[in-house]
Amino acid sequence: MKSTAWIWRIAATASIVATVLLIAGFVYAFRDINYPQGQLITEQPGETEIESVPPVTAEPQGLPALPETIKVAAIGDSLTRGTGDAGGGYVRRTIDLLNAEGRETEMLNNLAVNGQTTEQLLPKLGERGVRYSLEQADLILLTIGGNDLFQGSGLLSSVNSGAAELELDPELLMEALPQATERLQRILGTLREINPHARIVYVGLYHPFADLPELLIPGNIVVSAWNQAAMEMISRDANMTLVPTFDLFQHKLDVYLSSDHFHPNGEGYQAIAERIVKGLL
Amino acid sequence: MSSLWPLIQNETIKIVKRKRFYVILLVLLVLVPMFTYAQMKSAERSRDKFNSDWRLELQQRITDNESSLSSDRIPDEWKRYRMIFIQQMRYYLEHDVNPNEPNGVTFTREFMNNSISLFIPLMIMAIASDIVSGERTTGTIKMLLTRPVKRWKVLLSKLVALLMFISLIVVSAYIIAYLVSGLAFGYAGFNLPIFTGFTIVGSEVDMSTVQAVPQWKYLLMQGGLVWYVGVCVGMLAFMVSVLVRSTAASIVIMMAALIAGNILTNMASAWNSAKYLFMVNLNLTDYLAGNLPPIEGMTLNFSLIVLAVWAALAILVSFSVFTRRDILN
Repeated sequence: MKSTAWIWRIAATASIVATVLLIAGFVYAFRDINYPQGQLITEQPGETEIESVPPVTAEPQGLPALPETIKVAAIGDSLTRGTGDAGGGYVRRTIDLLNAEGRETEMLNNLAVNGQTTEQLLPKLGERGVRYSLEQADLILLTIGGNDLFQGSGLLSSVNSGAAELELDPELLMEALPQATERLQRILGTLREINPHARIVYVGLYHPFADLPELLIPGNIVVSAWNQAAMEMISRDANMTLVPTFDLFQHKLDVYLSSDHFHPNGEGYQAIAERIVKGLL
Repeated sequence: MSSLWPLIQNETIKIVKRKRFYVILLVLLVLVPMFTYAQMKSAERSRDKFNSDWRLELQQRITDNESSLSSDRIPDEWKRYRMIFIQQMRYYLEHDVNPNEPNGVTFTREFMNNSISLFIPLMIMAIASDIVSGERTTGTIKMLLTRPVKRWKVLLSKLVALLMFISLIVVSAYIIAYLVSGLAFGYAGFNLPIFTGFTIVGSEVDMSTVQAVPQWKYLLMQGGLVWYVGVCVGMLAFMVSVLVRSTAASIVIMMAALIAGNILTNMASAWNSAKYLFMVNLNLTDYLAGNLPPIEGMTLNFSLIVLAVWAALAILVSFSVFTRRDILN
């Protein structure tokens, strides 16, 4: 009998304590969800830590050499993401090539978002997580602008749906160009501001519809105008490079484009990656 | 009242002596190390990939989700879910708080989040499904009812004993999860801030009501919600146990209902009236974390009321059936 008395005593006290505790928690949860306070009781501990990222030794003139271990961050649109390629796109391929060359290279983040335009990229650069990654990079790979030029015009969808009128009004496209290049300028400026010492590689645009006779000339005009504008900005910063792709793809669209007729395939990405690496090492 | 007290005492001792509670503890002791190991493996992998920098890892998850939003192949409700996830994770990054910092307390929180809808109810069923039908299977119910005690008192004593053990089960699940996972992840993390109060409006998250609570308080609130779910499921299992003669049948019935609920929460978003089923409303902790509810229009209060109505009906049925029915064998 004695043991049963103990069982009862222990079970009863334990369960009463447990129940009271749980009911208190329930009341708290009920209040918290129904009447949220909206008050941050925590300090932000990491604030100082983030801002004390190694001060950059000012070396504006001359190209600082890339360090032994290269940290890569990539940002931009679907090209950087590697759409159309099962092998990970030009970013992954660049890193693989660098590693194969004996330069230890590691990926920080691939911050690219499919379908991103210059307009969408700009606010991203203000996000803390994005800046955190970019700040640490030695090499920043960037593609942007393709969606501004082609997606915005509705051209991509009409090509894919096989619509009959592939009207591409060069004047209309040229109209959008100044704003887009102005945003590119701001993107490059912000990147440099976030990370004053990284090598920034901008991959230029190619003309994905060059094999369609009615689009050849107007597309060429717009794309080269864009590339020209980009080149002008980039050449003002000693530590920025534009890697052209226009010439690569011009006559090899059937070899280098994937089945969506817009993004490169594995071979196309490989060609881009090889160019990037040749300019780096 | 005077005759009720010894009855409760008697029922409690019976539950302990029948070793049901020990079985539950044993199951927890076997399963929690398994989950801990799985968690450890995934933590290891992300450490390799991102040099143990959670900010890079979190940012990559945000970007990957953002990128998938532009695809046409993803259903709209998933997109909503992801958009909400992105905004919350961005909020964590902006405030430099790691939502998944690996430690025993975080593991316990995640473990309980995942067990509220199936695992904990299952443990409770192990006791609840047996509490009346077990007496009928063994025939001891006759002994119990030939005593000069009112039938409703007998049943009430069983109900009270069950409630006691529901609390004990919830608390011991917490204790075991914390103690075991602490071996692998360390015992710290009680004061880590966790954000609650995300208000979802369409696909947007209203951040103005967000507040940071220390993790121990979050666990307390979560425990309360788990307990509420446990009590409601316990009442339903109690009813089934009264209605059905064999313990096995009563367990199968409850288990089928719970599993149906788990499947429904994953696919019922188009069937709106499914939200009145109790088993769709078990994920109360989702409201605390600010996740999208499985069916549009569900809120904490809605789920609480649905569960309460089901539990109340279950008690009503149990008592009216038990006090009237002939006990034959």
